[in-house]
Amino acid sequence: MLFRKLFRTAWGYRSQFISMILMIALGMGIFLGFNMEWATIDYDTFQFFDNTHYADYRLYTQEGFTEEDLEKIVSIDGVQEATRFLSVNLDVADSSRSLALDVSEDFNVSTFLVMEGQDYDENADGFWLSDKFAKTNGYAVGDTLTLIFQGSEISGPVLGLIKAGEHMICVADSNQLMPDYTTFGFAYMSPEKLRMILKETLLKEIPEEYLTDEMLQEAQTKAYAQVHLLSDMGKEDLEEAVGEALGKTLMVVPKEEHVVYQESRGESEEGKTMGSILPVLFLAIAILTMVTTMHRIATKEKLQIGTLKALGFKNRRILRHYTSYGLMIGLIGSGLGVLIGFWLNHFIMSEDGSMGTYFDMPDWTPVIPKFCYPVMIGTILLLTLISYISVRKQLLGSAADALRPYTPRKMRSIFLEKLPLWDRLHFGTKWNLRDLSRHKSRSLMTLIGVAGCMILLVGGLGMRDTMDGFLDLLDHDIALYTTKINLVEGTDPAEAKALAEELNGDWESLSGISLGGDTITLDILHNPGQLYRLIDEDNQQIDPSDEGVYLCLRLKDRAKIGDTITFSPYGSDDTYTVKVIGYNRSIMTESVTMTDALADQLGLDYSLTSIYTSTPASDIPTSDLIAGKQDKSQLMDTFDSFTEIMDTMVLLLIVAAVILGIVVLYNLGIMGYVERSRELATLKVLGFRSPLIARLLISQNLWLTIVGVAIGLPAGVGVLKWLLTALASEYELDLMLGPLTYSVSILLTFGVSLLVGWMVARKNRHIDMVEALKTED
Amino acid sequence: MPIVQFDHVSKVYTAGDHMLKALDQVDLSLEEGKFVVILGPSGAGKSTLLNLLGGLDTPTEGTITVSGKDISKLSDNELADYRAATVGFVFQFYNLIPTLTVHENIQLVSEIAPNAFPADEMLEKVGLLDHRNNFPSELSGGEQQRVSIARALCKNPKILLCDEPTGALDSETGVMVLKLLLDMAKDYQKTIVVVTHNQNIARMADVVIRVKNGKIRSVEEQAAPLSADEVDW
Repeated sequence: MLFRKLFRTAWGYRSQFISMILMIALGMGIFLGFNMEWATIDYDTFQFFDNTHYADYRLYTQEGFTEEDLEKIVSIDGVQEATRFLSVNLDVADSSRSLALDVSEDFNVSTFLVMEGQDYDENADGFWLSDKFAKTNGYAVGDTLTLIFQGSEISGPVLGLIKAGEHMICVADSNQLMPDYTTFGFAYMSPEKLRMILKETLLKEIPEEYLTDEMLQEAQTKAYAQVHLLSDMGKEDLEEAVGEALGKTLMVVPKEEHVVYQESRGESEEGKTMGSILPVLFLAIAILTMVTTMHRIATKEKLQIGTLKALGFKNRRILRHYTSYGLMIGLIGSGLGVLIGFWLNHFIMSEDGSMGTYFDMPDWTPVIPKFCYPVMIGTILLLTLISYISVRKQLLGSAADALRPYTPRKMRSIFLEKLPLWDRLHFGTKWNLRDLSRHKSRSLMTLIGVAGCMILLVGGLGMRDTMDGFLDLLDHDIALYTTKINLVEGTDPAEAKALAEELNGDWESLSGISLGGDTITLDILHNPGQLYRLIDEDNQQIDPSDEGVYLCLRLKDRAKIGDTITFSPYGSDDTYTVKVIGYNRSIMTESVTMTDALADQLGLDYSLTSIYTSTPASDIPTSDLIAGKQDKSQLMDTFDSFTEIMDTMVLLLIVAAVILGIVVLYNLGIMGYVERSRELATLKVLGFRSPLIARLLISQNLWLTIVGVAIGLPAGVGVLKWLLTALASEYELDLMLGPLTYSVSILLTFGVSLLVGWMVARKNRHIDMVEALKTED
Repeated sequence: MPIVQFDHVSKVYTAGDHMLKALDQVDLSLEEGKFVVILGPSGAGKSTLLNLLGGLDTPTEGTITVSGKDISKLSDNELADYRAATVGFVFQFYNLIPTLTVHENIQLVSEIAPNAFPADEMLEKVGLLDHRNNFPSELSGGEQQRVSIARALCKNPKILLCDEPTGALDSETGVMVLKLLLDMAKDYQKTIVVVTHNQNIARMADVVIRVKNGKIRSVEEQAAPLSADEVDW
């Protein structure tokens, strides 16, 4: 019989029960969704990396690796597998597309999975093309692919469509934020095909009878500028071992510094961060709502509890009955939460989801992190415990005590009453102020609800503003070029500079340096044309001086302005000491920037990486120095899919904020209304009109909203700042909040609050004065 | 001319298919300045009668005229104005606003009543001026009922409606409250309608109306009503 009562009572308190179930479902759903997101990234990307033998280390040298070098590296104790590797960005003939063309000589490291077509064959004459690139650009197995290699065309059939760990996040370079398969993809070819291409290239300069195997091997050595290897060794140990084996210092880049691994770890870390803020906010509010609501329900059920006790039901049975309310809410809420969690994870981490554009991998199996199970069980137990504690309080004492109606706390004067202004206040103001002080937990919960709503809105919209601001900065203050030319690795600096001059362009050289043991990018910049600019912390343009170097903001704590830093270029034992003369906002890499004049003064050996020019890509003459060309508009377009993802996230946050606001405020509003229904009925009996009473109710809501907004606004900005540091530190984003964000956040929060206030207040029209006044308070 | 006139008033409550006739074709007229007691067992319809007269509810059929004005078909807002200006209520459980002080509880009605008396004057009359800054929860039941009477009279209503005003009080306090009620009504020349099942209170009334099963069984005028002190409690 008590089981029937369980459902009927729940139906009687349906708005409270639905609110609590919704809050638990949302809290649990968001908790699971975000935590599943990073766990799914971790599991599925690691599986993919394993299956494609993603390299633990990449060794680089401009001179290239000989077969003997490779043998020496393989024989290092601790190196499991190694291969010579080529990766070069090439333009696709007759199009504005380009792709990274890879060759893994021994195909034991940095391999790929064939999704369609022919398996890997080391002698095959053709290409294995990225399936996403193929699908986007209309290539199929058997089609011919033609690429521009050192000014000449190379072509072959598409042998298979593939996915590769090396290109799981397929970006041309670290400047590109999101993959864009309409402009950039990747392909593999066999080492034999490479050998044939090199031979053909050599034959253009040397007659066949003079072409020797040594010449061909030399060309291959030069082409294989990388060695990819699998090893459990530490970076320093490997560096030392390679140094000993080859007799020279090489640039050793662990997978943690490789863009694909780094970005996927970054995404996972972002997921963990998101998984620790939003769910905590929602779960905390859900649990606090549960505490407040269960206490109210238990006090309202006091007479029933007393009656059951008087009828002879044992405390344990009554406790079990009422405790099962919490259990029921916990189970239903968590069940719905699991569904929301899976949906949210699917929405983000699936091939059709928002990360589907970002990650190119074959398997998207959803994964629940193990710790989520105890958290879910713990939450259900906690909710049950909250019910237990709320009811146990009502059961203390005799049956007669329990049968006595609940007596609300006695009213005491509040501190505001000491103010001279108090006596002049309208009775409604006094009534509301004392009510807020009398029901502190309800008021506090309302404040938390409003502030939470505000934090989500400011966070979501502010993130969008900041991203917009960043893109605007990039478009109008940093990158003023029309075309960026990526130069072939190891190009002769004099030739490259001549090309830059011919194109009236600025240029830069990016290379790896060791700064205090960390791998940092050295950016040598020559920008008299101001086509690629440096900006400071306040987004103001820097006219680079030759007196010293600029540290990016992430390196700000390494040295003060005026201090010196010492670095060592990779592949060299030389060290250079330079003065720090400023900090710059680096949009992508963690870098030290200097002018070419200073680099020349220091005697640094460098080669040019890119040229920035106002000449459109189509007007740039063919040159074997050019590895690829990128329109700025193409680069800016790659941000579109990123902003689309961001818009979806912002929309989700707005929906979450509005749901949070409505559910929390409505639940508390109804509780407040029920608690005050006797007072409201009294006012009505005395002759107060319904609209006046509604105004009283709404004004309390309004005050709490004003305070909630006042707390939520700076808190939202604070959370956003923290999020930007935690999620996007690699972009050194500057917090930018537009007036629209402030106004939309404030208006939406007030809108939600007023809507809920109105929904609750309009109930007073139908208050039954006779019924409400019948019983003793 | 009577201050209150009920003509063929019925009130029917429906709950699903079930219909309950709380008042059945009631005709009644009350003279101004009288102390009227409505007696009857539980469920007789006496509270319904009081609620209709107080504008808390509207009749299913018939007309109710108070001071020459038909109140049976007023809108919600018009009923609120009627309650604000014409009637004062005293309840069994006082119904004071717990978050307002004694003074504020009385002052409250001056917001809506056009001819309200000063709150402190009322407090002085009921002997609670010293407690003006106390909250209701700091007063005894009798004191709370005195505040409730002061609040009802502060509006300067034509009619004072009391629903079991001594129901929650001990007999000694009850006598004191009744005495105060009668004295105040006399001082301010008000018509008082008290609903009760306490026969003793009826002995103090000018007019005793007995209600049973939704109908008026008798209307008895008492030539020499007793004072509160004379009633044997």
